Amino acid sequence: MTADPTLVVVGAGHVAASVARALRRRGFAGPVVLLGDEPVGPYQRPMLSKERLADGGDAGLWLLDPEWCAAHDVTLRTGSPVERISAGTAEVLLADGTSVPADLVVLATGGRPRRLPGVDGDRVHTIRTLADSDRLRERLAPGRRIGVLGGGFLGTEIAAAAVTRGAEAVLFDLDPVLLARALGSEIGSAVTALHRSRGVDLRLGRPVTGVHARPDGVDVLTGAGTETVDDLVVCIGIEPNTEVAVRSGLVVGNGVEVDAAGRTSIPTVFAAGDVAAHDHPRYGRVRVEHVDVAQQQAAAIAKTVAGTPAAFADPHWFWTDQFELNVQGLGLAAVRPGDEVVPRGDLAALDGTVFWLREGRLVAAASVERGEEISVARELIDLEVAVRAEQLADESVELDGLLELDGAGV
Amino acid sequence: MSEWVHVAELKELQRRRKKLVTAGDRPIALFLVDGEVYAIDDTCVHRERSLSKGTLLDGQVICPGHQWRFDPRTGHPEDQEGCLATYAVQVSEDGHVLVDPAPVSPRRETTPEAAAAAPAPNPAAR
Ligand SMILES: Cc1cc2nc3c(=O)[nH]c(=O)nc-3n(C[C@H](O)[C@H](O)[C@H](O)COP(=O)(O)OP(=O)(O)OC[C@H]3O[C@@H](n4cnc5c(N)ncnc54)[C@H](O)[C@@H]3O)c2cc1C
Ligand code: FES
Repeated sequence: MTADPTLVVVGAGHVAASVARALRRRGFAGPVVLLGDEPVGPYQRPMLSKERLADGGDAGLWLLDPEWCAAHDVTLRTGSPVERISAGTAEVLLADGTSVPADLVVLATGGRPRRLPGVDGDRVHTIRTLADSDRLRERLAPGRRIGVLGGGFLGTEIAAAAVTRGAEAVLFDLDPVLLARALGSEIGSAVTALHRSRGVDLRLGRPVTGVHARPDGVDVLTGAGTETVDDLVVCIGIEPNTEVAVRSGLVVGNGVEVDAAGRTSIPTVFAAGDVAAHDHPRYGRVRVEHVDVAQQQAAAIAKTVAGTPAAFADPHWFWTDQFELNVQGLGLAAVRPGDEVVPRGDLAALDGTVFWLREGRLVAAASVERGEEISVARELIDLEVAVRAEQLADESVELDGLLELDGAGV
Repeated sequence: MSEWVHVAELKELQRRRKKLVTAGDRPIALFLVDGEVYAIDDTCVHRERSLSKGTLLDGQVICPGHQWRFDPRTGHPEDQEGCLATYAVQVSEDGHVLVDPAPVSPRRETTPEAAAAAPAPNPAAR
């Protein structure tokens, strides 16, 4: 008789919380240990640029409660940076020189914000942790001018939070349209117009040529001159935290390379979330930075570990909430330049969906205030239902009706 | 003692299988699943989006806000915290849909903090 294996998650974020819950739901009997380097347990990172940044509240912030952990033999160790995984000796080595037994490991170290070399100081911010968000919130006050470098999801959410809190916001991006690379130009233009109408000062379509942080302000240089802000938030993407993986001898490219099931080059070590370059059955190797993907990859790994081999094969889904607007995207990693773009509804009025079609099948969708159409799009993609552009564009055609026509079970 | 409120006609549910109604000042979402009418809170426990705008798939209600999946029979979301209140439904022989606005099972907010902020019917209960 062998003892139940111990599973250790390296990094105590979204993946860790989901792995722990899913393992217990599936009846995994061994000890589960979560090792994180932050001073606190897993929390909702998306809230750091939304609710938490806006009002500082912590409703819904924490992902695991201590009572649940105690009742389910899940040990959470905060403030415990990991040095490397030693799969040969079945242990995880911590930076403080101690070790933890680990028959199975899930590596989930996430990522860290890219920084501008040489630009730092008290007035320069990046947002990844609770502490980052709490520090920034105090600066988002009336009378202060906040610069945001980068008009992606994070940058646009932070600009929205800044003006909502009564500060001024000036947002810089090389692209002429916000979010267009992620969501296409139709939705991008509509979101850009929303930000402009809410008073965000948009400096788009020009490269930032220099940034100088001084004790009393930050100068941002563009071809059009110099803009001085009180604080600058740098939102130019993340780098995966691959150091532990490299030190553990795992194969690492743009992230830790894993197969469809989330397994790394060492069979007892899995990886998921922002750090994982996943071999997606539909899309090929891709590393994405979405909560839902992190959670679903974690759930698939837990299922495999608990005895039922599983792969993560769903289309990637994400959302962003800014001002009162809800935007969602599905399968966008699959979009290719030749795909047919089909708008539905009134995107300029911030109420509609864009679909991407290829050879009579839906490959992706993005919606503004129409999450219900994303729910149907997911079914259309999963079931590979044949659809025509005219049906998708026609508001008198009910989308869930397209599922019934195909005889799909609704 | 229950107070049935006449909120809709069954035939109004036939096509879209969902409808937003009001009973006792509460927004309630009706769903028609396998010939049965179920009534739950219309306001999502997550971020207050309207569940009657959502999608009914495989007997589950998917919230348009962030795609949480609720069971209209129990009000429970799949893999998430919190719970929507459920309400008793009667369909009369001539197709009137009646709802009792006193919940059969209570609404539970997603966190103890949120619950503390909301008026609790019985603060002593744990
Ligand atoms: C401000 C913000 C807003 C976001 N909003 C959205 C959104 O609206 N929608 C969406 O889909 N996604 C959003 N995301 C992305 C989402 O948060 C990530 O995809 C998700 O957190 C990934 O989970 P993870 O477990 O891989 O990483 P994380 O949640 O980052 O967890 C990794 C943890 O590992 C720790 N760690 C790193 N190295 C070590 C080590 N050596 N030892 C121990 N611990 C270590 C890290 O400190 C961290 O705590 C947002 C991200 C941010 C920062
Ligand atoms: S508002 Fe319902 S899932 Fe977020």
